[in-house]
Formats: sequence, C-alpha cells, structure tokens
Amino acid sequence: MSLLEVEDVETYYGESHILEGVSLEVEEGEVVALVGRNGVGKTTTLRSVLQLTPPREGSVRYRDEELVGMRTHEVADRGVGWIPEDRRIFSQLTVEENVRVAVPDGVDTDEAVAFAFETFPELDSHRGRDAGTLSGGQQQMLAIARGLVGENDLLLVDEPSEGLAPQIVADVATALAEASTETTLLLVEQNLPLALDLADRFYILDNGRVVDDGDADEVSADDERLRRYLSA
Amino acid sequence: MIPADPALGVDLALPAVRAVPDLALPTLKAVPVQSGTSFFDGLGQFLQPETLVSVFVEGLAKSAIYVMIAAGLSLIFGLMGVLNFAHGTLTMIGAYLAGIVMVVLVGGATGQWGRILAFFGALVVVFVLVGGFGSLVEVGLIRRLYDRPPIAQILLTFGVALVLEEAARIVVLFYGLQPTSEWQEALGTKPAVLATRHSLGPLSIRGLALFEILLGVLTVVGIWAFLTRTRYGLFIRAGSEDAEMAQALGIDVRRVFTVVFALGAGIAGVAGAVLMWDQIWGANVPLAAETLLPAFVVVIIGGLGTFRGTVVGALIVGMVDAVTTWWFINVVTWTWLPDVAVFLILVGMLILRPQGLYGVEEVGGH
Amino acid sequence: MVVLALVAYPGFYHLLTNSPISAEAVALLPKMPTMIALLYFGLFAMSFDFISGYTGYLSFGHAAFYGTGAYFVILVANGKIPLLPPGTPFMVSLLLAGILAALLALGIGLVSFRLSGVYFAMITLGFSQVMYVFIRGWDYVASNPRDGPTVGSTHSEGFEIGVPYVDQLNLAIGSFSGEEVALFGHTLGTYTTSFYMVGFVVLVSYFALQRIVHSPFGRVMVAIRDNEERAEAVGYNTLVYKLGAFVISGFFGGIAGGLFAGYARSVTPENTFYFLTAGDALLASIIGGFGTLAGPLYGHLFDETIREFLSNAGLGGGLLPYLQQRLGEGVLGTEIFGGLTVEGLITAALNGHAALYVGIVFVLFVLYLPDGILGTLREWLGGPVSKRVPELLRGWR
Repeated sequence: MSLLEVEDVETYYGESHILEGVSLEVEEGEVVALVGRNGVGKTTTLRSVLQLTPPREGSVRYRDEELVGMRTHEVADRGVGWIPEDRRIFSQLTVEENVRVAVPDGVDTDEAVAFAFETFPELDSHRGRDAGTLSGGQQQMLAIARGLVGENDLLLVDEPSEGLAPQIVADVATALAEASTETTLLLVEQNLPLALDLADRFYILDNGRVVDDGDADEVSADDERLRRYLSA
Repeated sequence: MIPADPALGVDLALPAVRAVPDLALPTLKAVPVQSGTSFFDGLGQFLQPETLVSVFVEGLAKSAIYVMIAAGLSLIFGLMGVLNFAHGTLTMIGAYLAGIVMVVLVGGATGQWGRILAFFGALVVVFVLVGGFGSLVEVGLIRRLYDRPPIAQILLTFGVALVLEEAARIVVLFYGLQPTSEWQEALGTKPAVLATRHSLGPLSIRGLALFEILLGVLTVVGIWAFLTRTRYGLFIRAGSEDAEMAQALGIDVRRVFTVVFALGAGIAGVAGAVLMWDQIWGANVPLAAETLLPAFVVVIIGGLGTFRGTVVGALIVGMVDAVTTWWFINVVTWTWLPDVAVFLILVGMLILRPQGLYGVEEVGGH
Repeated sequence: MVVLALVAYPGFYHLLTNSPISAEAVALLPKMPTMIALLYFGLFAMSFDFISGYTGYLSFGHAAFYGTGAYFVILVANGKIPLLPPGTPFMVSLLLAGILAALLALGIGLVSFRLSGVYFAMITLGFSQVMYVFIRGWDYVASNPRDGPTVGSTHSEGFEIGVPYVDQLNLAIGSFSGEEVALFGHTLGTYTTSFYMVGFVVLVSYFALQRIVHSPFGRVMVAIRDNEERAEAVGYNTLVYKLGAFVISGFFGGIAGGLFAGYARSVTPENTFYFLTAGDALLASIIGGFGTLAGPLYGHLFDETIREFLSNAGLGGGLLPYLQQRLGEGVLGTEIFGGLTVEGLITAALNGHAALYVGIVFVLFVLYLPDGILGTLREWLGGPVSKRVPELLRGWR
C-alpha cells in the first residue's frame, strides 16, 4: 500500500476543468517530483489532495483512507502537510507564533519550537519579530519549519524555489533534503535541476493529466521527454 | 417602518426618534456657558484645564463604550468576513437581560457594594446567554451561507436583526414596558456612587463615566490577553489572516468561527448591560440601531479585522464625539454636529485609506 | 401583465368589497392608500434593485435620494427654494427633484465606488445617515425639523400630475387634496385618482428602467455583478458604468420620494432619510427578487399586505376586525392560559408586529430562495414571466 494514491482525479475551478484524470502514487520515504509547465494543474493537484479544492471525480487515498469528502483540517490532522506557493506564513504573527500554530494538539509545543529553531538556526535570531519582516528565503525556511513540526508523514511542497536568489535556493534545497530524511515529500517544482536532484521519481503533468513518469536518476534535465513537455 | 401615510396614521413600527442625537450626549456641564456664545469666548472656555479634563474623561468613557460595542463586530468580520448587522440587536438584548437580572436581584435596601456585585453577576449571565445565542445563530443560520458571496451574509444578519428587534419589542410590550423609552426601573438599580457626580477638586465627574472606563479597560485587556496569550487566540489571529492556510495546519476553522461569533456576541451583550445603567442610552429597543452605526464607524476607521484598530478607532470616535458635543451644548446650536463630525471622519478615512488605520487589504475567509 | 393587474385593481377591490365575500376582501386586500404607497415606494425599491441587484453594489444609503426628492418637492411648494415659486408645476419640481438626487448620486458615487462590496455599502450608509442627522436639525426646512416639513398655505391645492400648465390635462393627487373624476358614470374618488396618476408616473419610470436594463448598458451592469475584474479586462471602464447606473438609480429614487411628498404632503426625517427606508427597499427586493425590476414591486406588495393585515385596529388592520366579525367576541374572549385571551394574544404578538413575520420570511428567502419570488419563478419558467406564460399557453393548444 502506497502512502498516497491518487486515482483519476478530476477537479474544477468553477466551470474550468483543470484536472482531467490525474493518477499518481507516492511511497513512504520517497521524494516524488511533479513537473510541468505553468498552469497545467500542479498546484491544483496538491489542493485536491488536501481537499482545499475537492475533486469532483476520482479518489485520493492516504494510508488506504479515502480523503475525498473530508474537511481540510481533518486531512491535515492525519499527517498531510502543506508548504504552499508564496509560503503564506502569517505575517501578523511572530516567527515563533508561526511555528507554534503549526504544532498539533497534544504535542509538546515548547519541544517542537526548540526543535524547529535548532534545525533552522537563522530563524532563531528572528523569533520574536513579525514574520512579515522576514526575507523571502527566511519565509521559505519558516514554511518548511512549520511543515516539519506538524508531525506530517507527507509534505506537499509547492514551488519552494520560486522568487528566490540562487544562493538561497541552495539553502532551501539543503533544508528539503534534510526534511526528506524524516518524511515523505511530494514536490511541485519548475526548477528542473533542483527537482531531479531531490527526487527519487517524477511525474510529468500536461493539460491536467499525467503524461509520463520515471526515475529521477535515469534522466538529466535536458532529457527529450522533459523538454517536450516543459519548454514554455 | 414603511413611509407613514398620514391617512393611515402613525405606523407604530417606526423606531421612535430619540430626544438626543444618535451619538450619546455626555452630561457635561463643568463650566456652564450660554448657548450662542461667540466662537472665541467658547474657545477660551474650552481651553481651560477644568473643561479639557472633563471633556477628556467623558471622551474616555465614550471610547470605552464604543470599544465594547465594536470589538465583537471587528473580531467577527476579521475572521469570518461577515458584517454582523445584528450586532446592535445583541447589545440591546444584553441591556434588557441585564436589566432583568438587576431588577430581580436588587431591592430598595440593597447596599452599594451589593448592587455592584449583582451587576458583575449580570455581566456573566449576559455574556453566557447572549454568547450562547450567538453560537446558535452561527451554527444554525450563518454557516449555511459560507459558500455564497459575502452579500448574502450581510443580508442574513440584517434579517436576523429585524426579527430579533421586533421580537424584543413584542416581549417588552407584553410586560408593560415602553420599548422606546429607557427602562427606568433598571436604571434605578444603580448604586449611588455611580449615579452621582463626584468632585475632584474643581472638576465634577460622573461616577458612571469612571465605571465605564474601568470596564472598557478590562474588556480591552481581556480580549488582548485572549488573543495573544492563548492557543485559541493564536488560531483566531492566524485564521483572520489566512483561513485556508490555518485549515491546512489542522485548525478546524469552522469551529473557530462559531467560537468567535459567540465571543463577539457575548461582548456586545456585555456592552448592552453597561448601557442599561447609562441614562443617556438606557435599555430600550432603539438601542440596537443607536449602537450599530457608531460600531460600524469605529471599526471602519480603525480597520476591519484588527483589534488594535478597533481600540484606536474607538478612542478617536469617543474623543471627537465628546469634544464636538461640548461645543454643541455650549457654543453652537447645531444638534447634528457630533454625528456629522464623526461621519466626516468616516468618509475621510474611506477616501484616504479605505482599509482603516490598521487594516489589511484582504480580510476574512472561509 | 403587471400593468393590467394594477389598472384593474381599484375596480377589482370595489367589486369584491361589496360582494358576499366582502369581509374576507376587506381583511385581506390592501386598501387604496396602501396601494398608492405601494406605487411610489415600489418605484423606490425598483431604483434600489436597479443598482444593487444589477451591479451587485448594495446601496445601503439609498434613502438619501428618496429623502432628497421628497424634501425638495415640499420645499419648492413652501417657497423655500430660490428661483422656484410655490406655484411651480408639480411635474417640473418632480423632475428637478430627480435631477438633484441624481447629482447627489454622482457625488456620492465618485467617492464611494473606489471601494467595493462591504465598504461601499457602509459608506453609502454613512452618507445617508449624515444627511438624516443633518436634516433633523436644520430649521430652514421646517418649523420643527424633527417632525419634518409640511406643505403649507402656499400650495393649498393638490399637486397635479399631467402636462404642466395645461389645466385640462392635469389631475391632482392626495388623499384630501386630490380631485375626483367622473368617468363613464362612476365617480372615481380621490384615492383612485391619485392611484392612477401616481401609477402613471411609476409606470413610465418602470418602462424607462426596463429599457435600460435590456440595453447594452444593462448588460455591462450585469457583467460587473458577475465578475467585475473580467469586465474590466475586456475593456469596459467599469467606473463609468457604475456611476451611470448609480446616477440613474438616484434619479428614480428621487422621483419616488417626490411622488411620496406630492401625495402625502408632509414628510418626516424618519420616513425618508433614515436608513431603514433603504432597509425596506432591501426587504422588498429580496422577497420579490433581486435583479428583476418588477420583483421589488411584488416584494413590497407582499410586505405591505402583511403589514396592513396585521396592523393595529383603527389603522386599517384587517385581521382582528375580520375575526371579530366571523368568530364573534365569544371565541375571541376565550382564555388560552394565564389570563391571556385569543384576542390578547393577537394584539400582543401579531397586531402591529408585522415586521417580525416579514423579517422571518426575509431570512427564509435569503437562505432558501435567494432569487426571490419573481426570480425563482423566472428560473422555473425559463424566462421572464410575461414572455414565458404566453408561450406555455400556446404550447398547450
């Protein structure tokens, strides 16, 4: 049984048919990359797993439990975390509060916070400041820290490198690589070298469908298949 | 509330006109001045320390009231994006409930401290009852409209306000009270220390004003502590900023909505309880409209959805109200001065900075 | 269809009230004065729907236009407006009232349309409330501004609707000042005359609004309601359209207020500028149907009928006298519990409290029938009633 099984999912935004039958699988411990051009439905796929944009058809099974029909917080409670595009940290809360709010009920909050700041020492020096004052890279770290303290066995990561300078991207990559040792990642990323570097496997999404997949170490960034579907 | 056709006689459903403008008049007369005094004489009078201090105190008292009325509205809108038109009616219900408690508990012989104690008891009762009622409204009615455009919720709360107000009118009439005049018996339960003015040196200050300031401060501190020091407060602040992200972190935002609505309703009810004792407002049905409009103004000036903004907004509106009312009583005879001044600030704010002093661009969400 | 129903109404009413079911008729059917109020307030509600229902911008301050129109007409008649003598024909002052209201709308709109949704509703509310408070204290308008102005001796004759300055083509309105007309051997009383004349103006206005709604301009309005961003992206200057719609709605709101003043001859701040006036228009629109022009008229009809039905005895209330006639004092006097009689219950909980029940209906409509009576009917039939019903009837042949 895979950790996550997405089968023939069809999702709409209003009347727009975004996902026209997406199927993929993620095994526990893997890093799976979801690649494709802008607008093909990568973010929507993640949202469909989280039930933020519930699928109209198809099924999403996590640890063999059907997620479609659940409320988002119930999905999150089961250990599915989200590191969205634009990070979406709470700018009006302090850095520390951002971490605190992500700690699930029943878990020792102080311990979790301490762990987060150990893993991301750079955030520690800002812990009392409003999160809105952080730089893009720092916010990304914070978003990842949130994902980690949330006791998530599956992290859905959306375009972590977007809008960040190359040096920062490297730091983010390191952080994600670290994260992957503790949890499973489903990674949406336009930066191909980064994606292939981190991932074990990849799926290519085009026009709301999975059109190809493969092992990440068997291909390079200018593989013909990738070029066909990803060139803008 | 139809345009009264003279051939039909006066429609009793019209809310009666109050004898004072919508924003309350303070019983300010620190230094009596003739009406029709020239502007400069008036200015001179105004700038004397005794006048300034008493206007300041009255302004604080008004600010305290406005904070209590508006805090719930702001919290609810900040988190849920719902403009609660029924907020004023909740305050009105709180006033009557508190009145009932007080009239029942307090006899002619009850001492001052007994009365004050009873009042705090009434506050608790009102908070629980009105808050509980608020949660019912949220679960039963408002929740059904989450998927609809925000206009639908405004309309719904408007309808609820209408129904509640008329229902209150029915009950009040049934027990022989006039819905449009202050509940005198309830007013009579005030202890002497609050019903009179006290002299502090050359000043004469209403005891009730000080009490209102005290309660206002307690409310602000209480809400602030709740929002910043408790886990639930953290959820509320996070949800107010980005409800979707909060959901994805495992927070049951819907339940938080219910709690916040109940909390907001409870605070509104408590505000009403305080107003029950204040002669200028009193427990009566028009209290609903009289508190709703200033609440809107406060919340917009301060910024919908920020608690800090509500406090600052209340201070501004309270002070402007007190100052302009002094001028209206003592110098010029424009009865509309306090209301127009406040509304001008509102309009100015909406023109220059629509999100208010501390507001954020996008508020609320489901 | 609406037109025919309204035209026939006075005759209909007269017939039924003098027939065997007269008691029921008197109880249930609205009286003529109510119907007249229905007309001018219905126009107001229509103007409200024109902006709020079709563009999606809730104009909570719409009472400002109604009040402006009403006060202007009376002030002209009292000689208080410079350049306009008290003898100015009503049609002229009515038109000017509408224009004044339209200008007001322009001003308010320029400021308010920079905001959207909730903020727009609240700022327009703010404007109308400021005007309310102001006019309540301004002693130029009336000897006691709290009570509002009344048409005084400068204009003791009724306001006339018709062609200005041509005596034969004018008929005066008003419950006491109106004219009686002899037609086909029947004498039409003052109420009936007023009803038809006011109705005439309302009808013309309705048709005007209809034309606009069905024109390209109207389509842009609806596009703005459905997705303003997209409308802008397509290239429309939405501000111009919004302002235009608002100005038009203000114009007709002012006309409605002017009609009210012309008929009633006295107004108060409460029944014109107070925000609940717009609230009543909102009630009518939701129950009748937002975004349909005739809907608010039906919604207001419903509202008024219930109110009159449940209003206190002596004010035209239908329920209690009817029950008194049919059931007799005996039944009414029966005690239910604790000293409360049936009559007592009706007096306490029903009479004069129509607002409660209308409010409940309103809430139910918001929850379950957001398109209102007419809107839901239209959806059900698949198109505007006046088109679809004939089609369906033809289909049955």
